[in-house]
Amino acid sequence: MSDASIKKPNRIDGRRLRSERTKQLIIEAYLALADAFSPRVPTAAEIAEKAGYSVRSVFERFPDIRALQIAAVDYAMAQVTALAPSGKLEGDRQVRLQSQVRARAEVCERWLSLWRSLIINQGDSMELKDRIRQARERYMARLEAIYRPELSTVSELERRQLLIALEALTDVESWARMRQYFDLSFEEACTAWLQAVDRLLPRDPASA
Amino acid sequence: MNKPSDAKPARTDGRRQRSVRTQQLIIDAYLLLLRESPQVPTAAAIARRAGYSVRSVFERFPDLHTLRVAATDHVMSQASQQAAGHPPKGSRAVRLKTHVETRGRVCEEWLPLWRALNANQGESAELKDRIRRVRELVIRRLETMYEPELSTLGPVERQQTVLAIEALIDFESWARMRDMFGLTYEEACALWVSAIDRLLPSTPSVS
Repeated sequence: MSDASIKKPNRIDGRRLRSERTKQLIIEAYLALADAFSPRVPTAAEIAEKAGYSVRSVFERFPDIRALQIAAVDYAMAQVTALAPSGKLEGDRQVRLQSQVRARAEVCERWLSLWRSLIINQGDSMELKDRIRQARERYMARLEAIYRPELSTVSELERRQLLIALEALTDVESWARMRQYFDLSFEEACTAWLQAVDRLLPRDPASA
Repeated sequence: MNKPSDAKPARTDGRRQRSVRTQQLIIDAYLLLLRESPQVPTAAAIARRAGYSVRSVFERFPDLHTLRVAATDHVMSQASQQAAGHPPKGSRAVRLKTHVETRGRVCEEWLPLWRALNANQGESAELKDRIRRVRELVIRRLETMYEPELSTLGPVERQQTVLAIEALIDFESWARMRDMFGLTYEEACALWVSAIDRLLPSTPSVS
C-alpha cells in the first residue's frame, strides 16, 4: 500500500467525525431552543446562532427543519430511555408504586416542554406521529412489566383497559395540569398519582 | 307615534337578525372546516364554506382570532346545554353511564376545536381563559355527578380523586382511545366507566 492510501481513510474519518459533531451540536441547540420556546418551533437562524454555525451549515446536515425535528426527537427519546429512571420491577406493591410514580414524575418534569412542542407541532408528519406512538407504547410496556403481579389477576380485556387508563392518568399533560393549573408541589402531585394508580390497580392475590 | 318611527325598529331588527345569522353561519363554517382537517382554516376557506365573501367575514370578525374566540364561546354554551340535559340523578351505575356517555359525545364532537384552541393559544389571554373555563366546567360537572361518593372524602383526598378523573376524561385521552387504540365509542365509554368506578370511593348508603 502507498502512503496516500494509508492517510486517506484517516482524513475522511476526521471529516466525518467533525460533521457528526456539528450535527450533534445542531440537534442540541434545537432541543435547548424548542424547550425554551415551547410550543413554538425555533427558526433555522435561531438554531444556527445557538449552535454557533451558519444557517447554510444547518441545511447541509438537515434538508429541512422537519428532518432536524425528527433527529432531535430520536436523540431525546434515546436519552429518556437510557438516562431517565423507569421504576422498579421488583418489590412489593407499595415499593413499585412509589418508584414508578416518582420515575414518571421526573420524566414529565424534565421533558414537558419538548413533549408539548412535539404534540402541537406534529402536523401531518407520519414520522413524528410514529415517534409519539412508539413513546406511548414503550411507556405502556413498562407499566405492564412493573404492575405484572396485579395485572395478572384480571382478564386480557381488563388488563388492556387498565393499561390505557393508567397511561391516560399519568400522561405528561396530566402532570402539567397538576403542577401548573392546580399549583400542586412535586410531592403533592406524586401523592395524587400514587393514590389514583393504587385505586386503579386490582388488589394482588397475595394481599387479598 | 308617526308611521316612519314605527317602521324603523322593525327594519333595524331584521338587519340585526340577518347579521347574527351570518355571524353564526361563519362560526359553523369554521367549526366544520376544523373537523375536516387539523390545519387552521384560512379566511378564504371559511368564507367559501359559509357562502360569503372574505370581506363579509372580516366585517363580522376583525380577525381570525376573534372568530376563534366566538366559536369557542358558542361551543361552550352548546356543551353546557348538552350536559344540562343529563342531570345527576340515579344510582352510581346510572350516573357513571350518563356522565361518561355525555363526555364521550362532547370529546367526539369538539376535539378538533379543543386542539385548535390549544395550538393557537400562544399569548392570547382570551383563549387561555377559555381553556381554563372548559376545564372548570368539566370539573364542576364531575363533582356534581359524583357528589354522593366525593362527599365521603376529606378535602385533600377529594381533590386528588377529582384530578385523577379529570386527567382520565381529558380530550386527548379520548382521542388516543379512539385513534391510537382503535376502540369504538362504546368500548371507550366502557373503559372510562370501569376506571372511574375504580377511582371513586364506595357510594354511601341512603339512611
